Amino acid sequence: MSWASASFPVKCISSRIDDTVRVRGVQAGNGAAFEDLVRQYDQAVLRLAMHFTGSETEAQDIYQEAFLKAYRNIGGFRFECSFYTWIYRIVVNLCLDHLRKRRVRKEDAPVAVDEEGKTFDVLEQVPDGRAAADPERDLMNRELSSRIRRAIDHLSPRERMVFELKHYHGLKLRTVGEILHTTEETAKNTLFRATQKLRGSLADMR
Amino acid sequence: MKCEWVRQNILLYVYEEIADDARYELEQHVARCAECARELEQVREFHAAMKALPVQEPTTNLLAASRMRLQESLEGTRQNGFWQNLVLEPAVWLRQIRFAPALAAAIFIAGFAGGVGTAYKVVAGNSRPVSNVTEISAPVTKSTISGIRSISQQPGSNQISIQYDTVSAQEAQGSLSDQRIQQLLLFAVRNTYKTDVRMDSVDLLAQKPEDANIREALMYALCYDATSQVRLKALGALKPYVKSDIRVRNVMLEALLNDTDPGIRTEALHSVQPVRADTSVRTVLNRLAQKDDSEDIRSQARTELALVPQID
Repeated sequence: MSWASASFPVKCISSRIDDTVRVRGVQAGNGAAFEDLVRQYDQAVLRLAMHFTGSETEAQDIYQEAFLKAYRNIGGFRFECSFYTWIYRIVVNLCLDHLRKRRVRKEDAPVAVDEEGKTFDVLEQVPDGRAAADPERDLMNRELSSRIRRAIDHLSPRERMVFELKHYHGLKLRTVGEILHTTEETAKNTLFRATQKLRGSLADMR
Repeated sequence: MKCEWVRQNILLYVYEEIADDARYELEQHVARCAECARELEQVREFHAAMKALPVQEPTTNLLAASRMRLQESLEGTRQNGFWQNLVLEPAVWLRQIRFAPALAAAIFIAGFAGGVGTAYKVVAGNSRPVSNVTEISAPVTKSTISGIRSISQQPGSNQISIQYDTVSAQEAQGSLSDQRIQQLLLFAVRNTYKTDVRMDSVDLLAQKPEDANIREALMYALCYDATSQVRLKALGALKPYVKSDIRVRNVMLEALLNDTDPGIRTEALHSVQPVRADTSVRTVLNRLAQKDDSEDIRSQARTELALVPQID
């Protein structure tokens, strides 16, 4: 299998093969079909895991667990929902599991001190790929982003996930509902609560 | 009061989740009401502020590293389920079910005669077609149990229902319009190592591509079959649908780009002629004209592109 090192996938073309064809292929034991499925969804999976957990390492773990889980369970997939919804459900649940574990660990979370002498939670850091062209603006952004992180931390896991999926990944509330095994109406209400809380937290921090 | 309704819907508006007629009403109101306009502005500010935590696209390296790690894990996994270990060992699974010994006599078994017979070697068995006919059979001494599908117990009773598969040589006869025959052919396309059997199946299915399920099986064969003859046969059957079925068109484009057999790529090229003006087809033709390994195909692609009517 050399697909892992293949040149960056022409995903706009190969995405058009129906997922149904691919899923049935995997169910029949075809490895190439599974590779296609992975290539189709793995960027979205990593993107979600990275942003939600704020950690590249955790995101990679979630990636592994998600696709292995998919591979093991695809035999029982009965097309009652789309594969898209199914894989998102797996990833969302893994993200929530990791969050739960992290909250338990947080009591002894490693804390470090940055150049300005401020303490920050090591677990919260995600490498920022953007070059610091404007240090002052960059500092403001970092402060704002850490305020936002803290505000998000006060949400319940569900509220956090609904907000994540809607605000950061642009999924329709109806899809969010499907992924979380609930109705669009419930997802809507959860979004309201989440944004109320966030607006409140951010206002307080000013 | 209108303002109350507007306030409740401002969030949905900002997130573009609002119905079209509601959106119109909201915009109309906000144009006239300063308070609501202020609220809208604040929600927009909040929305923008949250972007201070931008979503980052995974880097190529990260993606490649993740894929490689996954590949390694997969190579160590066999996609063999629970059932494979239970063949011919009913005693083992009986012990695993918690029920009183007295119930042993009350087990009610509904048997299915599954499998496609010993003539075909069956690969991963998760997607076997389930026959809708349940027969209450006598003790299945002559067949081999090939898998246990499910075990359930009716609450409050001592009745247990077990669904299991047996492998026994069977023969089905009928015409192509026969549902059972179709099911077996569809199964054969995806589930047998024997090339001649797959070839025969695709040959027969190719006679009835008007059926959506059959078309799907043919698309599967074109994408994934290991033998180029089989893929070619499937391609031939799907050709007339390139214009009417977008999935067929996409599968054809995929074959055009990725099939290892130049003969198939050439055939695929011919098959997309009726839709050569389509943007996605032109994109693929362009790529082909530059990157295909075969000079012949590159030149054919260029010819096709030259024939595309210039719209702009």
